[in-house]
Amino acid sequence: MADRRVAITGIGVVTAAGIGIEPFWQLLCSGASAVGPIDLFDTSRYPTRVGGEVPDFSARSHVPKSYRKSVKVMARDIQLAVATADQAFRHSGLVTKGTDESAEMTVDPKRLGCNIGAGLICCELDELAAAAITSVDANGIFDIAKWGAEGINNLNPLWLLKYLPNMLSCHVTIIHSAMGPSNCITCGDVSAHLAVGEASRYVTDGIVDAVIAGGAESKLHPLSLLRQALLKRLSLTGDDGLGGHCRPFDVAHEGTALGEGGGLLILEDLAHARRRGATIYAEVVGFGAACDPAGIKVTEANVGSLHLAAAKALADAGMSPDQVDLLIAHGTGVAAEDELESDAWKQVLGDHRPPAAAITGAIGLMSAGAGGAELAAAAMALHTQTIPATANFKALADGCDLNLAGQSRPGNLTYALSGAFTIGGQSAACALKRYDPEQ
Amino acid sequence: MSRRRVVITGMGTVNPLGHDVESTWAALLAGRSGISPIEIFEAATFPTTFAAQVKDYDLADHLPNAEPHAAAGRHAKFALGAARQAWQQANLDADTDLDRSRVAIYMGCGEGRLLFEKLSDLVVRAWVDGQLDASRWYDISWETMDVFEETEQESNMVAAHIAAEFNLCGPVFNVLTACAASTQAIGEAAGQIRRGEVDVAVTGGAHSMIHASGLTGFNRLTALSTRNDDPTSASRPFDMTRDGFVLGEGSSVLILETYERATARGAAILAEIVGYGASADAFRITDQDPEGLGAAQAMHAALADAGLSPADIDYVSAHGTGTQQNDQVETLAIKRVFGSDPAKAPPTSSVKSMLGHLIAAAGATELITCILALRDQVMPPTINLHTPDPDCDLDYIPNESRKADIRVAMSNSMGFGGQNNTLIITGAT
Repeated sequence: MADRRVAITGIGVVTAAGIGIEPFWQLLCSGASAVGPIDLFDTSRYPTRVGGEVPDFSARSHVPKSYRKSVKVMARDIQLAVATADQAFRHSGLVTKGTDESAEMTVDPKRLGCNIGAGLICCELDELAAAAITSVDANGIFDIAKWGAEGINNLNPLWLLKYLPNMLSCHVTIIHSAMGPSNCITCGDVSAHLAVGEASRYVTDGIVDAVIAGGAESKLHPLSLLRQALLKRLSLTGDDGLGGHCRPFDVAHEGTALGEGGGLLILEDLAHARRRGATIYAEVVGFGAACDPAGIKVTEANVGSLHLAAAKALADAGMSPDQVDLLIAHGTGVAAEDELESDAWKQVLGDHRPPAAAITGAIGLMSAGAGGAELAAAAMALHTQTIPATANFKALADGCDLNLAGQSRPGNLTYALSGAFTIGGQSAACALKRYDPEQ
Repeated sequence: MSRRRVVITGMGTVNPLGHDVESTWAALLAGRSGISPIEIFEAATFPTTFAAQVKDYDLADHLPNAEPHAAAGRHAKFALGAARQAWQQANLDADTDLDRSRVAIYMGCGEGRLLFEKLSDLVVRAWVDGQLDASRWYDISWETMDVFEETEQESNMVAAHIAAEFNLCGPVFNVLTACAASTQAIGEAAGQIRRGEVDVAVTGGAHSMIHASGLTGFNRLTALSTRNDDPTSASRPFDMTRDGFVLGEGSSVLILETYERATARGAAILAEIVGYGASADAFRITDQDPEGLGAAQAMHAALADAGLSPADIDYVSAHGTGTQQNDQVETLAIKRVFGSDPAKAPPTSSVKSMLGHLIAAAGATELITCILALRDQVMPPTINLHTPDPDCDLDYIPNESRKADIRVAMSNSMGFGGQNNTLIITGAT
């Protein structure tokens, strides 16, 4: 086993609850949901018109003054990542070029890593339309020859950079002067768990002192919402404007609600964290990942052999299943997925039925950002000894068997397990431990 | 402290110069260019009209049954062909002890083939009174969009196809650190084996950006060569007259496992991964750090990881894209590592001069050329190098392959946005 331990010393979240850990954790403890009507674009024709939108978001207020002009070359996913990173570093108390441009960094830039999961970023349709409309033929049809000759000049020269998934990491490394290993994992909803798992190895392998890890994404885009509608995964909003909410594992679960935002953790070598007197929220003690070869059938529910990923995370942590005190489920609210997920947890935990929670009903499904928020919730639960509520949960659905509650509860929590799965049939899980200053 | 040794026991590739390793290698040693006018979409009016395309490729020639992958994207089909070659060379079908939950798939694959013409046509048709009518856009898009075509664009779908093809249930990662992705994938996959997390890794990359969106994006960035009158000489890494990189496409896949495992099952060892380093420029999204500090840091980290000194490196496979900036900065970075006297740096070449830039798949493909260089004791050339640039003053193995005594090779990749990765390998032992 590695000598180095992985401390979580900062938690950044940007979600439908607002900016930062406080509104997020308050929401999760209240049992309420921040999912509501989507204002970002006109959803009047969509089968679902609600989502977990980050309210009143302006990235400009979350980047250093000298970096504000760069915001215009950031897709919303990137803006959310940059704001989330700002929250995470500030929460950790580490001084970086991004948190204080004039001060000395309190971590060696070359030993500060970055690993931010990202999604497939869709280009802004208004921007594309305004450029493409200049390249139509006599019948009003888009003409690729005209586009190549003239139309492309109507796009911003940096157009491509606005949508590259590695730009989440790149902007964050530039803003905070993080020169260590930098990665960008693009595995849908499991991206953030994979990122945190891999980044924790950077710490235990001794190649970084600290690393920012997790994910960010906005699925609240006309094309993303349409794609999820095509996959028939969405909870539907009726003509009355009601419905469309995500009710993980609940009898009334009928699909998911999309969200947006980011969840990023500062993972730090425990000795480094102790030396600077940092607050330690929890430790990352185990990681595992797996897949299901049947995952290529994308229109069929699949949880990516989540039971294997979870079992590996427990083995990696040296834990037995009955040591799990809290389960943070992925809980998409898609009925068939909920059932398979519940089965997977049962397969790995057996008769042990620890308190569980799913946060998707509260903030919507954040995809690449989802795991970051889920791990943030797990860390806060261990730190505050509180089991968060599962919003929109009243009674267990048939075929689901998790120990959920619609209200938050006090707990006696040492170990938490969090896992996720994604379209394509991939899964990942992380085990977190309560930090004990005596150990 | 002893650690597990990570060896390569299989490799496969589908690229503009060949649909397998040996034909690719023969073309590279002969200094042949894989670049020609774009045929896979209507590009004749773009600022750049040529690319390095994979031609006459049929997945059915590579798989026992290609039918389950009918919906796979162009790059996923390249990856499946490359993965099958690698799997076969490693003889994993004969490995009855293989625990399929302990086989990682760690890929650096790009997004699928973005349907730019279709998306552009939809937004144009939904343009009403000087703006995009969202309701109209939704209605016409809902009618024409296909769930499989859309979902296959997710970059993790390539790994999903590989898992299905080989019936694997181990960890899956896909990373998309632009032009460095597959080097990073291989480096991280090697780490998983070293730490004992998995027994075997299927790793590499796949990408095709030869589509209207990719060409638009890179043309707008003025990153591409526009030498439309002479495509085969357009990719000119380190030459004074270089004017940008040439888009390529393809896939390369490697099989990694521990030395102990490979020898125990009698697998032929092709090479050993001895060092890996990663860094970030943390400079600008549009430019590399002009001092080359980030790239040098990745090379230093790989050397430290390997426990080697710069003098141990016999050959460097450069990132060498053929843009003014990359080649100058990379040269500077190499000199930072190997010494300011250019004679101290090992011979360095860029196969992008022949293959074009395979973007996410570039690093894995270049690592395969390093494996072959070690095997055959010959270094592939940098073609189209006729006019020296005073800022690029290393030995780039101009125009003709060269026999040499090579024991250790280094391969560099640098992603747009400042993500740098370096791998170091040694030959079969």
